[in-house]
Amino acid sequence: MDAPHYVAARVQRALAEDERTVELGIRVDVRGDKIFLRGRVSAPERRLLIEDVAREAAPGLSVHNEITLVEVREPGEEEPL
Amino acid sequence: MTQTRVAAVADIHMGEDLRGRFRPKLHGIEDRADVLLVGGDLTRHGTIAEGRVVADELRDLPIPVVAVLGNHDYHSDCEQAITAILRDAGVVVLDDEATILSMNGTTLGVVGGKGFGGGFAGKCASEFGEPETKAFVRHTRHIAERWRHALSGLDSDHRVVLSHYSPVKDTLMGEPTEIYPFLGSYLLAEAADEEGADLIIHGHAHLGTEKGLTPGGIQVRNVAVPVIGMAYTVYRLNGA
Ligand SMILES: [Fe+2]
Ligand SMILES: [Fe+2]
Repeated sequence: MDAPHYVAARVQRALAEDERTVELGIRVDVRGDKIFLRGRVSAPERRLLIEDVAREAAPGLSVHNEITLVEVREPGEEEPL
Repeated sequence: MTQTRVAAVADIHMGEDLRGRFRPKLHGIEDRADVLLVGGDLTRHGTIAEGRVVADELRDLPIPVVAVLGNHDYHSDCEQAITAILRDAGVVVLDDEATILSMNGTTLGVVGGKGFGGGFAGKCASEFGEPETKAFVRHTRHIAERWRHALSGLDSDHRVVLSHYSPVKDTLMGEPTEIYPFLGSYLLAEAADEEGADLIIHGHAHLGTEKGLTPGGIQVRNVAVPVIGMAYTVYRLNGA
């Protein structure tokens, strides 16, 4: 089995370069046979696509999708500068 | 008193799947802000089709819209076409240049462009060695030079720098430090500090934080959607 370091790098690269994701803002950590995905995205479909691409890039590992969905809220108070 | 309310957002990463989802969040923006600044990564793949989606989301807003492109908008080598599509929709797209808007008797100068990386003072790449390294650093240096030039000729009550890449480390907090050189460059901050500005807006660092300061004391705000969690934030610039 590949060293976790290389697996994480491969997944990270797949997320960035796969046409379905092109996602550079996701942290990928491999611990044992688990792969953890962390970050924030704005659509539930993207969260799932990222998981799919990660799974394909690291077959055999269990993917823990800890990506948070940011709901784009209405703007709040203005900040005086 | 002359005050300007600046709405800002970055990294909206539109695609056909998100068509029509951003625009409703801009409803009523004219009551909250005088201008909307959009700090790059408007699309996901930088395709013309995605550029059209962005144009439709931003078209005919009741307040002026000023934008710069981000690295994603360059991905398909269609950045010029995307720029043209946005301009046709009435968006002012800055490519290392300045624009002056006047509203409520006040003028706001905006200088900006995509920016680029290289890292931060003491821990950055320098123009040395292989041509690839030199080209990388030179690209940022060239951009900073153009911003400095645009700022020096700018005569307005307020001035804001609009970038995609970050000018400071402060707003990268939350990103792995190993990738800082790909997230921004101190050369961008240095140009603004030399010529003076009230605010620097950027995006790109999705895992970063909102608030920072340049070494010269200019307020910096990272307005990437995943960071602010809102359609935009509003900053009020007071009396000039
Ligand atoms: Fe982005
Ligand atoms: Fe970006």
